[in-house]
Amino acid sequence: MHRQDSPMKVSTNQAGILLALVVAVCAGCGTTPPASFRANLVEATKQRLTPDQERQVATILLAMFGTPDDPVALPETGLDEAKLKLCAGPVRSDIVGRKNGLYREHCAHCHGISGDGMGPTAAFLNPYPRDYRPGVFKFKSTERADKPTHGDLVRILHNGIPGTSMPSFALLSAVQVEALVEYVKYLSIRGETELALVRQYFELDDDAQGKLPETREFLVDEVLTPIAERWNGAADARIAVPEMPADIDMMASIAKGRELFYGDKANCVKCHGVTALGDGQANDYDDWNKAIVEWRKEVGGDKDSDWVSKANRVLAGDALRPRTIPPRNLRHGIYRGGRRPLDLYYRIHAGINGAPMPAAKGTVDPQDIWHIVNYIRSLPYEFDGELGVDRPMVAKDRF
Amino acid sequence: MIAMRFTSCVFLVLLASCCGGCGQGRLASPRPDDEAAKTIRAAIGGASAAADVAAESGAAGTGWATLKGRFVFAGDPGQPKALVVDKDTEVCGKSSKLYDRSLRVDSSSKGLAGVVVFVRKSSRVKSAVPETPLVFDQKNCEFLSPVFAARVGQPVDVKNSDPVGHNTNVAGTSFNQLIPSGGSTIFKPAGETGMPVMVTCNIHPWMKAYAVFRKDGYVAVSAGDGSFQIADLPAGEMLEFQVWHERSAGPNGALGLDKADLKWTPKGRFQVKLQEDEVKDLGTLEVPAAAIGT
Repeated sequence: MHRQDSPMKVSTNQAGILLALVVAVCAGCGTTPPASFRANLVEATKQRLTPDQERQVATILLAMFGTPDDPVALPETGLDEAKLKLCAGPVRSDIVGRKNGLYREHCAHCHGISGDGMGPTAAFLNPYPRDYRPGVFKFKSTERADKPTHGDLVRILHNGIPGTSMPSFALLSAVQVEALVEYVKYLSIRGETELALVRQYFELDDDAQGKLPETREFLVDEVLTPIAERWNGAADARIAVPEMPADIDMMASIAKGRELFYGDKANCVKCHGVTALGDGQANDYDDWNKAIVEWRKEVGGDKDSDWVSKANRVLAGDALRPRTIPPRNLRHGIYRGGRRPLDLYYRIHAGINGAPMPAAKGTVDPQDIWHIVNYIRSLPYEFDGELGVDRPMVAKDRF
Repeated sequence: MIAMRFTSCVFLVLLASCCGGCGQGRLASPRPDDEAAKTIRAAIGGASAAADVAAESGAAGTGWATLKGRFVFAGDPGQPKALVVDKDTEVCGKSSKLYDRSLRVDSSSKGLAGVVVFVRKSSRVKSAVPETPLVFDQKNCEFLSPVFAARVGQPVDVKNSDPVGHNTNVAGTSFNQLIPSGGSTIFKPAGETGMPVMVTCNIHPWMKAYAVFRKDGYVAVSAGDGSFQIADLPAGEMLEFQVWHERSAGPNGALGLDKADLKWTPKGRFQVKLQEDEVKDLGTLEVPAAAIGT
């Protein structure tokens, strides 16, 4: 009996230890400290900031923007702090039963608490979620260099982005969508401010002793205001679109558009391919990924081993593996920025900011842009004759 | 015994999952200083103090002066690498083969081309922003100006003299436009670049140039023989110049030289005070091989 009892006893003891350990483990990982914004370590390491400088940036950003639980909107940003509060913090209901913490409920798992596009799911998605911090957005009604309007972002939340993991949030109330758009702008302005601050260390005079001035003149007037003004001026930067003539001969317009697609003037064929399947220029990167590709090269060629080992840790922990950007397959009929003719007009006129797609504005006439739009819209349905007869895959050879 | 082995196993797994779960390997994000943040928040609220106009324009002196010099490369530049040309090969690189132009050294004079010199801050500008466009052209699938300087607001005529279409993509400016064969478009740089930014063509990935835009126009790019000159600089004030080269080993392309008399820093900056009507020649500025990176 004794021999049989003994292991039981030991195992009870051990179960106790185990329990204690489980508790310890849960305490270690589980009691979440208040959420905090993650620094842009890629840019800070690229600019070779010292630990003191990295800390100064974090401190200034805390002063200017608050925390993910308690956001601050300086009046110069033009942001509505009440809307931000509805999105910030953990998911919860307030005293009147109104849902709070909308950003963490709907967005943070992909776009990240800091809006860095590096939430827990990000690495598994293709394309990667948008990193708001450079303040560059693709699908908008404004000129290439300008910010999206408030309405542009509302549209994206309503419709989602077809062909990507970005879903529609049409089931949220108008108030909630408004608030989330405001919060995206907040994260974007914060991210742009952080980038500007980090890059300012190089611009410092030697007598500044590597410390940014913590004055209103510098932080608000010089750094924040120009960023905020561009956001608040977006509504004035809308692309002027001439109406497509109502009596347009659609077949003639499609033929003209096709000519432009393959021609040297619009040159769509170079990237979207002779098949229009998006198989032309296949080894290019968008601006977000290109920044990492370029930096990897720089890290590879550097001789300062301490810096290189830090940079490699940052590349592993704070950057996603770079991916090339395929030009759109125009035969799917799936358009990320919307499928209205107007949306396609915007894409061709201004190109896609942040992506290799250039603007046709200035070198291609507005009427010709409409012809290209009509041809693009015909591509998924292109059919030229007998059923059951395979036509050449290459669109160029089909006519 | 079995139970013990089992529990130690569980223990190990737990330990491993703890280490994995708590995120070892990822660098910690810097912690802000809460007290200092409160002070800053108090300082940035309210209204800005009126800019001290007197201090801004308080620099003495009224006249103008010129600065010039010549960069020479004191190492062996080696043979430039041939570029991989795999698009539009019936046109690109046809009239002459295309080579990497990041380190252009004149074989006889050793002059280093493509060094950018600009003034960081100045109090006075002599001339208004010119209305006549500068030409930025491309031919043989190559940008004709490897390093290009313009004044903020000055029109730049982006041209394409090739029989194939290009697009011109200026990093950091959101300018990226189609330039059809024989076509052109006007680009007006809207702001300063700080250090020069890359110009590329997405259709022909080997095409590369650099552009620098400055408000006051006090910027020069060294020519084929390495010489540069900036005229109409404000005299009588300490001017700080920034020097850049595409291949420089310094931070952000800053070209650091060992010139104590000019207080040349590792950030590629030096200081000069010019007298009225002076033409100051810095002479030959030797760039050692170590100042140039990979």
